[in-house]
Formats: sequence, structure tokens, C-alpha cells
Amino acid sequence: MSKFITWIDERLPVSNFVKNHLSEYYAPKNFNFFYFFGSLALFVFIMQIITGIFLTINYKPDAASAFASVEYIMRDVEWGWLIRYMHSTGASFFFIIIYLHMLRALMYGSYKKPRELLWLFGMFIFVLLMAEAFMGYLLPWGQMSYWGAQVIISLFGAIPFVGESLALWIRGDYVISDATLNRFFAFHVIALPLLLFAVIYLHIAALHTVGSNNPDGVEIKQNKDKDGKPVDGIPFHPYYTVKDIFGLAVFLTIFMFVVFFLPEFGGFFLEKDNFVPADPLKTPEHIVPVWYFTPFYAILRAIPDKLGGVLAMGLAIFVLFLMPWLDRCKVKSIRYRSLTYKILLISFVISFIGLGYIGMKAPTPILTILGRLFTLVYFGFFVLLYLTSKNEKTKPVPERVTMHE
Amino acid sequence: MNKKYVFFFILIFSTQLTYAASGGQLKPVQIDLGNKASLQRGAQIFFNNCAGCHTLQYHRYSKFVGDLGISEDMIKSNLILTTSKGEKTKLGSTIVNAINHDSIKEGFGVVPPDLTLTARSRGSEWIYTFLTSFYEDNTRPMGVNNVLYPNVNMPHVLWYKEGLKEMDENNILTVKVQGQLTQKEYEQEITDLVNFLTYVSEPAQLERYSIGLWVMLFLVFFAFITYLLKIEYWRDIK
Repeated sequence: MSKFITWIDERLPVSNFVKNHLSEYYAPKNFNFFYFFGSLALFVFIMQIITGIFLTINYKPDAASAFASVEYIMRDVEWGWLIRYMHSTGASFFFIIIYLHMLRALMYGSYKKPRELLWLFGMFIFVLLMAEAFMGYLLPWGQMSYWGAQVIISLFGAIPFVGESLALWIRGDYVISDATLNRFFAFHVIALPLLLFAVIYLHIAALHTVGSNNPDGVEIKQNKDKDGKPVDGIPFHPYYTVKDIFGLAVFLTIFMFVVFFLPEFGGFFLEKDNFVPADPLKTPEHIVPVWYFTPFYAILRAIPDKLGGVLAMGLAIFVLFLMPWLDRCKVKSIRYRSLTYKILLISFVISFIGLGYIGMKAPTPILTILGRLFTLVYFGFFVLLYLTSKNEKTKPVPERVTMHE
Repeated sequence: MNKKYVFFFILIFSTQLTYAASGGQLKPVQIDLGNKASLQRGAQIFFNNCAGCHTLQYHRYSKFVGDLGISEDMIKSNLILTTSKGEKTKLGSTIVNAINHDSIKEGFGVVPPDLTLTARSRGSEWIYTFLTSFYEDNTRPMGVNNVLYPNVNMPHVLWYKEGLKEMDENNILTVKVQGQLTQKEYEQEITDLVNFLTYVSEPAQLERYSIGLWVMLFLVFFAFITYLLKIEYWRDIK
């Protein structure tokens, strides 16, 4: 066996790779609950690719037969219903995981020096993922697929001068049509997954260059023993592989419960109107995007002007890219930061959830006011963070990481 | 018995959600997909009364053999009512009919919708409420109107079973002409029909819950084992 491995290693550095990235890759030993979501996101990405391949085998990207082909998968393909539900539920869980993954970064300052690029790659993944989910949602060709896409693409029309031609260029037609479905299929199954794969690779490469942050925000590389190993670090394998497998098992228990018992999730994961085939002549009463887009959709609606709304929505995502430079506090972890930051972050999370709720509801005067208030809080977070973080009153950061049982 | 429990759980969830969506005007209906006799009766009612106009175009006749326990001969002689190219429609075909869209549109104003997914898009309670909410209204072309779906174009096809209801000044429906069935029997038939349409909307429901239980049991066990493994490996980390 060892002869065989030597033979391989002389031709391809497999053992080295395993050492560098698993058995001798040192991660801080004090990871908590929030540190499960990175590996879980990777797992869900791979699951979406695999279930996606099986769906593609029977799906037809054709306006005349797309809807029926999905029902064919649900009825006539062996285990087709399970694969489809895993894929549709997987999309929603991907966003739950990514939002918690991002919250973790905000809590423990994981975007700060030297992890700025890591954060930027992560943000690119988030944006690509939104595009991937949006285009995938058109494929079942139900009423909500159709009209949701119609509304979102028409937003590009608000851009001065080039807007209308841009929307036309994206759709490939004057309305959402067979041409749109075909190109969205191409983007959803090959273009965006390839890009995602590349940026995820860069994200992990950057992570393994700088090493993981941790709930204390202490750089473990600054404290090494005589062999040059971080004293607060433990090899990723076996310690975090076994821990992450346990995390994965818990995740799968929850995930599969939804797949088997609540795949529609009360209309949040699969909307009722999407069981009606797309009809360009019949607009549904309420056009609502899927839940993971609703916070940004609520920001769009909060601004009374169409172009202003589109800009605000774009800014809401763009401003996240700037986090490493907006937050000027040297201390990373929320554990040792000021009460101001804690209040700011909590208000930000509340406003994000609040916006998500408002984005799902039909607009009423009270919800509109609330939506504007939350939009103000959302953007206020970044402004106030920039202003307060420079001279923030922080607590002393310990030399070594702390363990909480 | 486990299955029943899960059905009950799902029922609570789905009923509440549909209720919230419609402002509480829908009547609850007891869906029990484990009741094969009810599903078979539902199929019978559907093919005797609805299939002439409404299709189940994503579903296949052959599915009824395994799912509902209806024999092939029974399907061929009693459920398949159409021909294609002079031959009787095949068992493996989807459930469509022979109506002429232009003439039916002339007669009823609309093409009767396909019903494969109605139980998912509108909900089981919606269908149940719709079919129990017809009342006499001589201002309408078909002589009837519907509380849930005002000015609907569909005639009250099942009037010979239910009879005719009329609406009093308090918007309460009372039976005016007695049909073949009592109100209770009629409601039972509609429950069977809705049960059947709920099955048709997602046949996977028949196996989804029972397989899901085993998957849950395995995953909980698996999570427990991996937890012990984690504890074992992490013993020396302080």
C-alpha cells in the first residue's frame, strides 16, 4: 500500500495535499455552533449539483413542456419526487445556511485583516447564489416562476437610458418567453455552477492561506509551540471532520424532515401559485418572491421611486462588500467589543428579519412605514458602524482562545 | 398507526395555513390518503361526473393499479372513456378527454381547467368548500351561483345528488329541492372526491410519510453515533 502511495506521490502530491488541508491544517479549537455552516454550505452545494444532474435528465427547458416535465418527474420518474424535493428544499436551506454563515462573520469580525479577500470571495458567492436561485426558480414554469421573473427583470428597465434594452437583452424577448427559459436553463445548470465552483475554490484557498478566525477573534498563528504548530490549533482531521459529520447528521435530520413531511413549507419553499402553469395573460393577485429574496424586495418597495428602489436594493447588497473597510475597529470578536456594536448588530438582524417578513406581505400603510423604518435601520447599521468603530471602547482581548463547555 | 399520526400532524399544518390564506371562510375537510376505499369512491365520482369536461393531464390511468388497488380490467372498462385514432386509450396514457375547446368555450365561456394540481394550487379545503357552496341563482346562465367563487361559469353538475340550495337574506344556504342524497351523504361523497384529487395532486404522498419515518429514525440514530464519535475524539482537547 505504502509503495502505491509513494508511486502516486512521485507523480501527484496527494499526501502533501491531505497534510496541508486536512491532517496538518490547524484550526482554532474553540469553534462554536456558528462554525458548522461553512462545511454545511459546501455539502448543500454538492447536493444541489448531484440532484440537479438527475433533474436535468428528465427536465425539458421548453415553455410548452417544462411544467409537464416537472410533474413527470414528480409522478413517473422513480424517486423523482424525492430528488425534486431535495433540490427545492436544498435551495431554501442553502440560503438559511449562508445567512447564518454571514452572520457569524459579522459577529466575530471574520472579514477583518487579513481576511478581506476571503470575505469578498464569500460575497461574490452570495451574489452568484442569488442569481443561481433566481434563474432556477423560472424553470418549473409555474405562475410564480413566470411573474416573479417578469417583475425582477423589469427592474432593470428602471436604469436610465440603457434600462429597457438591457431588460430586453436579458430576456431575449419582449416578455418572459421560451427564449428566456432556454437561456436561464443554460445559466442555471452550467454557467453559474461553474462560476460558483471557481469562486468557492478561491474562497477555500484564501481561507487555508490565512486560517480560520474564531469566536474570540484571536490569531492562533501568533502563538506557536517549538515545532511551529499553533498552540490553540488542532488538526482539521480528525477533530473537525468528526465534529462536522455530527453537525451534518443533525442538519440532515432537520433537512430530511422538511423534505419528507413539509416540502412546501406552508408555501414558503414551494409557492401555491407555482402549481399553476405559467400564463402570460393572467397576472396572479400577489406576486411574491421566494422568502430568501424578500428582505431586499422590501427595501425595493420601501423607496417610493422605481429607480431609487432599484438603486437602494443594489446598494443593500453592495454595501456588504465594503464591510472590511466600514468596520474600523481593531478588535474582531463581538465578545470584546462595545455595547454600541452589540446594539447595532442586533438592530441590523432584527431589521433584516423584519424586512423579510414585510417583503412577503401585500403592502399596507403600516407595513410600508415599518418597511421604511427597517430600511433606515439596515443602512443605518453601516453608517453608524463606520462612525463609531474607529474610537470604539473595547474590552481587552485575551492572548489565547477561551473554551466554553 | 404511525402513519395516521403523521397524517394528523400534516393535516393540522395544512389546514391552518390554508385557513389563514383565505380569511377563514373555507370548510375543513378530513383528508385520509390511507383510506383506499375512500380514494376508490372518489375516483368513481370523478370519472362518472367530472371527467367529461375536466382532465387530469399529468396523471396516468396505470397509476391507479398500484396506488388505489383498482384492477386493469376495471380501469379499462369503467374509467377509460376516450378513444384515440379509433382505438380505446391505452392504460399508460395520461388522463385527458375529447372535448372541443372552441365549442365548450362557446357554451360555458371558459375551457374547464385541468384538475391534476388543483388540490395543491388552491388546496383541498378550497375544492371541498367550492363543491358544497352552490346555490340557486336564476340571474346566472346555469341557474346556479357559488358562495366561494361568485359568478363561476361551472354548472352545479352534482345537483342530482345534492339537490338545490337557496340563499336566504342572511346569506345562509338551505336545501330547497332534495336530491338523491342527504346533505350528510353528499358531504361524504365530496370528501371522497377531494381525497381522490388530493392524492392525484401529489401521488408521492402515499409513500412519502412512511418512508420519511424510517429516514428520520435512521438519521437520529446516525446523529447519536456521530455525537459519541465526536466526544471520543475530542476527549483530550482542553
